[in-house]
Amino acid sequence: MKPKVCILRADGINCDEETFYAFEKFGGEPEYVHINQLRSKIKHLKNYQILAIPGGFAYGDDVVSGKILATELVSFLKDQIQEFVSRKKLILGICNGFQVLVRTGLLPFNHLGEMDATLAQNESGHFECRFVKIKIQQSCAIFLKPYVEQVIDISVNHGEGKFFSDNKTISKIEKENLVFCRYVDQNGRPTQKYPPNPNGALNAIAGITDPTGRILGLMPHPEKIIELTQHPNWRRGNVSAKGGLIFESMVKFAQQS
Amino acid sequence: MIYEVRVTSKAERDSRGEDLLTEIKRALKTYPIKKIRTVKVYRLEGISKPDLKKFTQKVLYEEIDQNVSYNGSILKDANQTIEVAYKPGVMNPEVGSLLKAAKDLGIKLTAADSSWEYVFFGELTRGEAKNLIAKLRLYNPLIEHIVDQRPKTLLITGKVGKTQTLTIRNISDEELMNLSKDKLFLNLEEMKVIQNYFKKIEREPTDCEIETLAQTWSEHSGHKTFRAKIIVGGKEKEPFITRLKKEAFKHKKNIVSAFVDNAGVMDFYDGWAINGKGETHNSPSAIEPYGGAMTGSGGVFRDIVATGQGAKTVISTDIFCLANWDLNPKKLPKGSLPPRYILSRVVSAVRDYGNRMGIPTNNGSFHFHDDFRAKPTILVGAYGILPKKYAKKGKVQKSDVVVSIGGRVGRDGIHGATFSSGEMTQRTITVNAQAVQIGNAIEEKRTFDAIIEARDQDCIRAMQDSGGGGLSSAIGEMGAETGVSVQLKNERLKYQGLNPWEIWLSESQERIVLAIPKNKINKFKKICGKYNVEISTLGTFDDTKKLKVFYGSEKVCDLEMQFLHEGLPQRVMNAEEVAKSKSKENKSPKIPKNQTEWIKTLQDVLSDGNICSKEPILRMYDHTVQGTSVLQPFTGESYDGPNDAAVIRPILGKPYGMVVAHGLNPILNRIDPYWGSIWAATEAISNYVAVGGIYQDASLVNNYIWPFPDEESLGSLDRSVTAVVDFMKTLKIPVISGKDSLSSTYRSDDGFVLKIPPVLCISVFGKIPDVKKTTSSDFKKTGSTIVQVGKMDMSSMGGTVYFSKNELLGESVPKIDLKILPKVLDVINQGISNGKILSCHDVSEGGIITAIFEMCLGGTMGAKIITDKKVRPDYFLFNETAGCFIVEVKGKEQAHKLFKNVPYKILGETIKKQTLSIENFFSVDVGKLKTAWQKPMKEIFHT
Repeated sequence: MKPKVCILRADGINCDEETFYAFEKFGGEPEYVHINQLRSKIKHLKNYQILAIPGGFAYGDDVVSGKILATELVSFLKDQIQEFVSRKKLILGICNGFQVLVRTGLLPFNHLGEMDATLAQNESGHFECRFVKIKIQQSCAIFLKPYVEQVIDISVNHGEGKFFSDNKTISKIEKENLVFCRYVDQNGRPTQKYPPNPNGALNAIAGITDPTGRILGLMPHPEKIIELTQHPNWRRGNVSAKGGLIFESMVKFAQQS
Repeated sequence: MIYEVRVTSKAERDSRGEDLLTEIKRALKTYPIKKIRTVKVYRLEGISKPDLKKFTQKVLYEEIDQNVSYNGSILKDANQTIEVAYKPGVMNPEVGSLLKAAKDLGIKLTAADSSWEYVFFGELTRGEAKNLIAKLRLYNPLIEHIVDQRPKTLLITGKVGKTQTLTIRNISDEELMNLSKDKLFLNLEEMKVIQNYFKKIEREPTDCEIETLAQTWSEHSGHKTFRAKIIVGGKEKEPFITRLKKEAFKHKKNIVSAFVDNAGVMDFYDGWAINGKGETHNSPSAIEPYGGAMTGSGGVFRDIVATGQGAKTVISTDIFCLANWDLNPKKLPKGSLPPRYILSRVVSAVRDYGNRMGIPTNNGSFHFHDDFRAKPTILVGAYGILPKKYAKKGKVQKSDVVVSIGGRVGRDGIHGATFSSGEMTQRTITVNAQAVQIGNAIEEKRTFDAIIEARDQDCIRAMQDSGGGGLSSAIGEMGAETGVSVQLKNERLKYQGLNPWEIWLSESQERIVLAIPKNKINKFKKICGKYNVEISTLGTFDDTKKLKVFYGSEKVCDLEMQFLHEGLPQRVMNAEEVAKSKSKENKSPKIPKNQTEWIKTLQDVLSDGNICSKEPILRMYDHTVQGTSVLQPFTGESYDGPNDAAVIRPILGKPYGMVVAHGLNPILNRIDPYWGSIWAATEAISNYVAVGGIYQDASLVNNYIWPFPDEESLGSLDRSVTAVVDFMKTLKIPVISGKDSLSSTYRSDDGFVLKIPPVLCISVFGKIPDVKKTTSSDFKKTGSTIVQVGKMDMSSMGGTVYFSKNELLGESVPKIDLKILPKVLDVINQGISNGKILSCHDVSEGGIITAIFEMCLGGTMGAKIITDKKVRPDYFLFNETAGCFIVEVKGKEQAHKLFKNVPYKILGETIKKQTLSIENFFSVDVGKLKTAWQKPMKEIFHT
């Protein structure tokens, strides 16, 4: 059975179609679900194995990115989400979706309703659209294990992507192996240099998981690099499109569990 | 009461403040400031104290990296604090979100606002700080103000005024013109036609009726010049629009819909169609570039969406013509904004609007000439995709319901259509401030989401963007053949107190008017509800052939549709005959003498505004959203080699795609409007073909941005239209959409007149069956042969960047051989399609050498080039004949085989070492050139 994927839509989410396509391509059965349909219980999270919050500018990213949608999720869907998480289902937040997950508190420590970290404004002070490299790390996300050390060329498209928290929290995140990908330089080493690290994220953190390894969020867009022609340099050879591994491994994991 | 919440970063410095400090250092020799910080201010009205705390904790403030204060300053040791806020009545897009979040939390909040404080550290007075804010243009007094006194309430109240009856039947010509001036922008003949109409029906008009007529008959909406009879040198010619249409419909293989809808539509694959449109927003952008460019983007996106029964916008392009950013402030005409400010604000606008919409900005260009200093050209293009069965313009039927969805109506944007049709004067900035507004991308995005679903559920009969002229234009046009009855009291308002005519005319953004079949209205409302889109049911289409508008029981407008739409007299306009070349200057520059002079010359050319890298700008525009891009604006080892066009795959997973390109060169039109326009069209199609586009499957969009059509300008416009017609004939492809904006003349009260160099922008969009059969501009291999393909007009250097660097204009612009052009385009296309051409770049501004330099850059390699001994070396390297290409192929044999039937020349080869060497003349490090090429925009955008 193909796992059902809830592709969340809300005012200003705008990467829903490519996220839908990515899950479909890698064996999932995606469905668009508007947040109002969850609020009014026309649709229910329990019917899905994966919840994906795509990128975009939910509610214009007013106040700070993802804030208004995070507030809405916590206010109206707390129970549904808690149940979803406790049933060991999977959540993926990409870019704005990651910002939402952090602001709901689901990431990094699964504290729904309490923030432990933030995604602050890029150090460059503005929106960045460019290809960078990330490297998959050994982390709690066990389904990514086969891909650890893989380097992915990937697009970032955001203005507020600097992963930030106090030292104590960052150490805890590191100690608990919650970082599943980092920005790396040409030699594959984590970097604080701009632009390979496009936002100044602490410890070059590009994406994290919660301690269960089932909630994932990242700033770069894996759904925009699942086919070779999406790479800026596909005509030059020697490049590949590896964003699909995120979707493929999630779908497979959801199938098994 | 109003509570204030201030939030700022815990860090010692913030990037917004730091950027300002950089700007201050640049602008001022001495400055007393050590540091600038920025603080976000929220004002909340009608909230209880406990709720205030809750709302702040949950929404406004994040403890991890921010500090907060209530009802007082937050950075205690600051010397001066200046707050900049939107003026009351100007829509602040953030407010809707604040109210929504409060509602989601179950908190009562009546009104809210947000603003920014600039906090200065250093010895300066409040007056000095205010001056700095003004000098750096951190606010635009048209829409924003410095807050000196805390507002007592955030609510805007007002009383509805009475509908006025105007007296026009028995007034003199002079009085008629006084009525028209600054407000209606109609000429005496048109005013008299209106006067006679009301004499005939024996009553005086209401304000609503006069305004409706003025906007329907405005140049903006009525395109009077394009529909006029033109007399050139005593001979009568058909109207421009007729000439364009006649030729276009001779090439209708791919046309689905042309010249009738909000955008032109052409055939695509698998039952899909694609549409395209270009639209300017020059007048608002001249006085408020951020709001102007934003609403320009929003408007053209709505044109795409409101085509047929609804399309999805898949790509956007931005083309800006501005004065050089380092223009001497003394040369700035009264009432005009500095070009550097306009540049940075229009870029911010595209970033903030396009990115939020999730529409990739994949293509665009900048053109700098100081005669754009009073009136810039701000042109936004957009392209979409829609099912072919929903691609024809909808026809309303009797009893269809008139609905308006999206944003609410405010006083903003009143008189936009009539205002943009008038010339700009120094009074413009004070009198017409109402025409300015700020866009709200998310309002537009959710409206589009709802429209697509409603289309797929067959709910939509017809629709119209509510842009220029507002409801009056949209509803008046939709009901032209039937008749319609409208109730203005049903419209949703941003605040109370709007007069009926204001509701009717308001150009408040993010609104679309639809005709919904009566039996679908409930379904349609449900879809809108799902997407949080507000809807007003405004009336019904009928069969009265009249436009009837009510405010409650009061009839405020009752006009015959026939008079409204056909009463406007056709203009007869005289045009001057254009001489062969309008420039008589035949001096030529000195050839650089030695290696040093050559390198200096080349660096000067590469750092010219028209040529230099725009990468810092493109990096702020989202160009990969939707995941559709298969040729990005910059490619190559360091992603820094620029490409000629955009290629996207609008339907993910399908092999076929869409190519989008454009071309323009305003200064050439000033010398020779015919050949300048041919150049623009050829450049557009060359950009298109250089990446692998098949020109036979392309459609054209033409945008004319011209000075006010006096006899001289009308003469050059006539030549330009002829050029476009000839170009269609040459390539056998049609123009399917376009727009004219004929008001780019500035006039001050001391008699100073400034006309822009006339802009013809040709955009090209079309289909290709396989996106893999495309190429990029970066050199792929070392040891490849570099070939120039196409016929160069080497002796014509008029209008080239090389000449401008020598302070010359030139007499003769490069002429394109239209007989040879199609053959050249064909061989390039074949070479790319069969993979024999490894990289390709078209020759344009900066000439052959610039093209080769950019190809080296992307390839991280160098090139060895031989010039043609029969041609002056500087002309050889810097000539700008469009329709010619630089291509990379494997070996000379390959070149002979591919190009034997067209003019071509082998120029040299690619080499591993990153130098560009021109045999017998000079050799230079590519990196050194790159530094010069990247420098200007890096400096302006602080990257």
